[in-house]
Amino acid sequence: MVNESSNRVHDALKSLVDLYLSSDQDGDREGADDRRDDVHDILKYIVDGHSRAVVIQDFDRVSNLIKDKSLQEDEPTERRVQLSNLIARFRTQPVLSQKCAILDVLRQLAYSDSAAVSEARTAAGAGSQHRQASRSGAQNRNDDMQTLEEQPAQGHQAKKGNLERANGTARAGKDNSTAPGPRGEVAPDPMALEDSDPSEAALLHDLPFTLQGLSTTNLPFTDTSILKLPATLPLPLISLLHTLAEPSLLYRNLSNFVQSSDEGLVGQSLRAAIGNELRSYLGLIATLEGEIRRALTSVGGIRSRGNIGKVGVTLKRCVIWTREATMGLRLMSLMVEEASSRKGGQLISMIHAFSTSHGDPFVGAFAERMLTHVTRPFYDMLRQWIYDGELSDPYHEFFVIESDARGSDDKEADARRAPATSVWEDKYRLDAGMVPSIVTEAFAEKVFLIGKSLNFIRHSCGDSAWVEAYCKVASKELHYGDTATLETSIDKAYKATMARLIHLMDNKFHLFEHLRALKKYLLLGQGDFIALLMESLSSNLDNPAGSQYRHTLTAQLEHAIRGSNAQFDSQDVLRRLDARLVELSHGDVGWDVFTLEYKVDAPVDVVITPWASKQYLVIFNLLWRVKRVEFALGSTWRRCMTGARGVLATVDDKLSRDWKTARCCMAEMIHFVNQLQYYILFEVIEASWDQLQAAVTKQDCTLDDLIQAHTKYLKAITHKGLLGKPTTGNREDSFTSQLHEILKITLAYKDIVDGLYSFSVAEFTRRQELAAKIEIRTAQGQWGLTEKDEIDQALTSPIASRNHLSGNESRTDSPFPINPSGGIPGLNSATTSEDQMLPALRQRLGDLAIDFKFRLSVLLGDLAVQPDVDMKFLGVVMNFNDVYAPRRRKREHHREKEKKTPSVVAVGS
Amino acid sequence: MPREIITIQAGQCGNSIGSQFWQQLCQEHGINQDGNLEDFATEGGDRKDVFFYQSDDTRYIPRAILLDLEPRVIQGIQNGPYKNIYNPENFFIGSQGSGAANNWGFGYAAGEKVQEEVFDMIDREADGSDSLEGFMLLHSIAGGTGSGLGSYILERMNDRFPKKLIQTYSVFPDTHNDNVVVNPYNSMLSMRRLAQNADSVVVLDNGALSRIAADRLHVQEPSFQQTNQLVSTVMSASTTTLRYPGYMHNDLVGIVAALIPTPRCHFLMTSYTPFTSDNVEQAKTVRKTTVLDVMRRLLQPKNRMVSTTPSKNSCYISILNIIQGEADPTEVIASSLSLVDRKINVSQVHKSLLRIRERRLATFIPWGPASIQVALTKKSPYLSNTYRVSGLMLANHTSVATLFRRIVVQYDKLRKRNAFLEGYKKEAPFANGLQEFDEARAVVMDLINEYEEAETEAYLDPEKGKDKAEGT
Repeated sequence: MVNESSNRVHDALKSLVDLYLSSDQDGDREGADDRRDDVHDILKYIVDGHSRAVVIQDFDRVSNLIKDKSLQEDEPTERRVQLSNLIARFRTQPVLSQKCAILDVLRQLAYSDSAAVSEARTAAGAGSQHRQASRSGAQNRNDDMQTLEEQPAQGHQAKKGNLERANGTARAGKDNSTAPGPRGEVAPDPMALEDSDPSEAALLHDLPFTLQGLSTTNLPFTDTSILKLPATLPLPLISLLHTLAEPSLLYRNLSNFVQSSDEGLVGQSLRAAIGNELRSYLGLIATLEGEIRRALTSVGGIRSRGNIGKVGVTLKRCVIWTREATMGLRLMSLMVEEASSRKGGQLISMIHAFSTSHGDPFVGAFAERMLTHVTRPFYDMLRQWIYDGELSDPYHEFFVIESDARGSDDKEADARRAPATSVWEDKYRLDAGMVPSIVTEAFAEKVFLIGKSLNFIRHSCGDSAWVEAYCKVASKELHYGDTATLETSIDKAYKATMARLIHLMDNKFHLFEHLRALKKYLLLGQGDFIALLMESLSSNLDNPAGSQYRHTLTAQLEHAIRGSNAQFDSQDVLRRLDARLVELSHGDVGWDVFTLEYKVDAPVDVVITPWASKQYLVIFNLLWRVKRVEFALGSTWRRCMTGARGVLATVDDKLSRDWKTARCCMAEMIHFVNQLQYYILFEVIEASWDQLQAAVTKQDCTLDDLIQAHTKYLKAITHKGLLGKPTTGNREDSFTSQLHEILKITLAYKDIVDGLYSFSVAEFTRRQELAAKIEIRTAQGQWGLTEKDEIDQALTSPIASRNHLSGNESRTDSPFPINPSGGIPGLNSATTSEDQMLPALRQRLGDLAIDFKFRLSVLLGDLAVQPDVDMKFLGVVMNFNDVYAPRRRKREHHREKEKKTPSVVAVGS
Repeated sequence: MPREIITIQAGQCGNSIGSQFWQQLCQEHGINQDGNLEDFATEGGDRKDVFFYQSDDTRYIPRAILLDLEPRVIQGIQNGPYKNIYNPENFFIGSQGSGAANNWGFGYAAGEKVQEEVFDMIDREADGSDSLEGFMLLHSIAGGTGSGLGSYILERMNDRFPKKLIQTYSVFPDTHNDNVVVNPYNSMLSMRRLAQNADSVVVLDNGALSRIAADRLHVQEPSFQQTNQLVSTVMSASTTTLRYPGYMHNDLVGIVAALIPTPRCHFLMTSYTPFTSDNVEQAKTVRKTTVLDVMRRLLQPKNRMVSTTPSKNSCYISILNIIQGEADPTEVIASSLSLVDRKINVSQVHKSLLRIRERRLATFIPWGPASIQVALTKKSPYLSNTYRVSGLMLANHTSVATLFRRIVVQYDKLRKRNAFLEGYKKEAPFANGLQEFDEARAVVMDLINEYEEAETEAYLDPEKGKDKAEGT
């Protein structure tokens, strides 16, 4: 193993040496070989020679040497303390293995000038030098200047990379050429070999300026990112200057960045924070400059060729002194670079990522320090948002954004909705991408709601007084890092705001009163009002839609309000109630186009959205239809019942069976309508209402919860109230159209029953007239009845019946003037006798009854297969005693056939 | 524009029930003994104008007409605690003040004599209403005044108000244990009018009332006061949907149209539960009342206020359950959750209906759809009750015919012997003989037959066959 590995090392060394030295085109072969061997030996020595006696010093000794030296040199106490700290820290570094040697190298570097180093190199076989080289990365370094000069950039680059690795900033993946940030560019003159010119002292004199990014004669900045090093310097100095060039260039860039202006408060505060850091960097430079000055004066100015190393200030030391600052600069420039594409919350997130997810405590602490400054505008915005409800974010940096500041797709969305709705729903949005990682999602959500609510309270609810008072009381300075206080104050603000908003909605805007009013008027909860409205409107609504006038409707509405318990409702509620006509379509009667409307305005329309209002109208439409049918059946029922005490009793001999059938069929229809109403009104509306109540009475109900609960309420009603979309896509199959069909049949049936009633009345009158005639004739001593009378009777009776009808009907409270000529063919003709009229009536009654039963059993069949329990329930109560046989959908296609065959009677009847 | 109902109380029984009924209504609506609203009665939501109208000094006055041929009961009312609420012009006491002596004929004949005065009152009340819905007649059919005068009024009303609904609350005699021997005669004669001249008759029978009072209230000899309280409770419950408007059943037509399919079968029976001391003194407390409990008890024959002997074919033609619960909690939204809990839960009704159907607790007619319809109504907020839910059942049940049949049987027994007919022969309606009796019996027999037919599936069938024959 040992052999093998050492062989491999030797091979590698050889090839490395070959690689570098073979590039020498000129020069004699022998010399080259010698040199090659020489180099190889040295390398071998480096690799294997870690056991040299000099090197085997214990750590303490070396560190003591250093400390002694610093004592001798009469350095300030604090520096000595700093030094010993550094040594101690260095000792505990786990990564490095040859600490003792490293320390020794450092010592030699520190306390010997370059000449001494070269002495040591020749004397001690260049051990220390080699060690230095080995430390700065596996880059082999020959003392042959020429060889080295050919690879300066690489050397620099490697060194830089090494430093970076030490700092741990992840930059490894970046390409050399694209690697941003400052890079010292060296233009070495191949002719310059010898003594450094300018001298190190001169360089040192210039160094503070360079470090502040200022050009000097020796070290001019040719470009923003290029520092020109004098070509005449020896390589070690060049490399040192390379190292020193980094902070200089970084500083230059950063100070440029700081001076640049940016849109964005967070960006500006980042600049401020960096500016702060740069100031402390400048402070360091100032100290450094002081040191250099002192050193230079002590050795006699820059012109002196004296050994400046003697006074303890060398370029190397400057490198050491600026190291930490360089790291800071480097980190900052990294941040600056990352910041260019980010703003606001993202920027904070980025810095926060450094502070939390970075392994290096230095980076963490540095980023943390930066965060305190950088987040200041963020917390200011946050404060204003959660205590004032104002978004003061001119540069769109906050995670709440005003919607109209965004792109066109939002504008389209705005156009779709009514403008008022958007105050709550659309005015502000939460931009998840802008939520800084210093706060959690839930927190951001809460903050968003708080501010939104405050804003809503202030602008839409007009209660800015409360907001201001609240702001005064509750407002608190918010800082980064104080998470506990932040959480509690946010929670407090959240509770206070939500409670206030609900309170306002309830007490100032009477939201719940409006909801109740909607239920009372649009969902028919106020029965007496609806009954009265229907009664007074019915005669109007029988006319075609075109002849409806809004003013009559509103007058009747007014009348219905005054005549019912609605009059006790608040004026505000009644003011919003309106009767109007929906858009006309040809051939409609008034019933089809009439609708009640309940107007809501801001800010209640946040809950009762235009969509919701529309749903209410849809539901009202169905309920109103059903109610109308109930009303119509009720009035016909009344006519038939009270009629049975008088008129109808007298014609019992002829029509009793017809009446019985008709009445039982009407009873069926009344049963259907009543069950339907009970289901929709109680099972659906009341049950959903209870759920809504439960949802909104919950302790911590927010406006969003409220809106959601209300939407759910309406959706439940529409779906269960048989108004949902058809599942099969066939409009014919939807419950709504089935119901409408059944209700239509019911109304038609009712009309025919009214016709039967008129017929009975006519029959009654005829008999009375006849009886009167007979009486008179009998009194006169003639025959009571002659053949001529019978013929006359046949001819005149229809006219007589109609005359009677009109006189009779004007006295009834029926909303549906009986029009026997409609629907029953042949009634108009004066020649038709009642002998033909009666069969026509019977025929029509029978057909309609069959149609009704058929459609009902189809509906029941559909209801039975509904997944919804409540809808199944409707099917059950409508068929409580199982008289109908629910029909399955697949028999649908038989319907037409069955309709035409009167022999098919609905099952079970 | 309320749908007003005018109440006519005839005879001793009618007036006793009536005064109890008005007392109950006053309490429910927060009207004090002078007819003024109590200070606490500010909560709207009720309609007082169906049964009351307001005088010039805004007092509430019942739309009631009190008729009797003897002064005792009416004078009792005039001296009672609620004497001030009635319109003094609406009292009518027969001039002789001797009563009808349990003779239908006397009452009927008296009606003939006093009709002008009586119909003056009725017309005045009718003219005072905007949209009169109908009349309610409270009477007993056994005595003399209630049955005789009541019958006369029913006949006349038929001519005078042909389009108005006429509902009666008729107290039938205890057919098992009756001490007035001529009651079968009186009942038979009244029943003819009830069958022909009324639109809806709520049948209450003294036997059942005493039985319920005894069973439910643990009173051996229930006083009339107590049975009258039962009746007034039923009456007030059956009118709650008119007085507290809600989604449905807000007018009389809405209620009875659902119950009465054919004009002759308009005799409704009632059940009410629970009776507690709130309604009737000395009633035992009922521990827990759930909707299912109430709905099940309503179907039990022993809670019916009519003594019938149902056969196995007997069935319901229709049922309307009026369930009263706590006041609508929506009025006090966001105050507390407990109120929501106390409200009648619709889902409880839902469950109860399914349970009843599943267990076949009620049999229905075989020839048409019938079910238990439910009306959920508010309870008066001014009366405190120990129970949460109470229920009234209005049902059209074919077994009511068995009560009629018992009356016919008893009548036949008397008639066969021509017993106690002397008193009747003296009165005007029988001046031309006793065929009035036979006609009445025929009408009642028709009625009984109709109810029995309704129990069979063939009730509609013969007509159907004919229909088809004529249609083709």
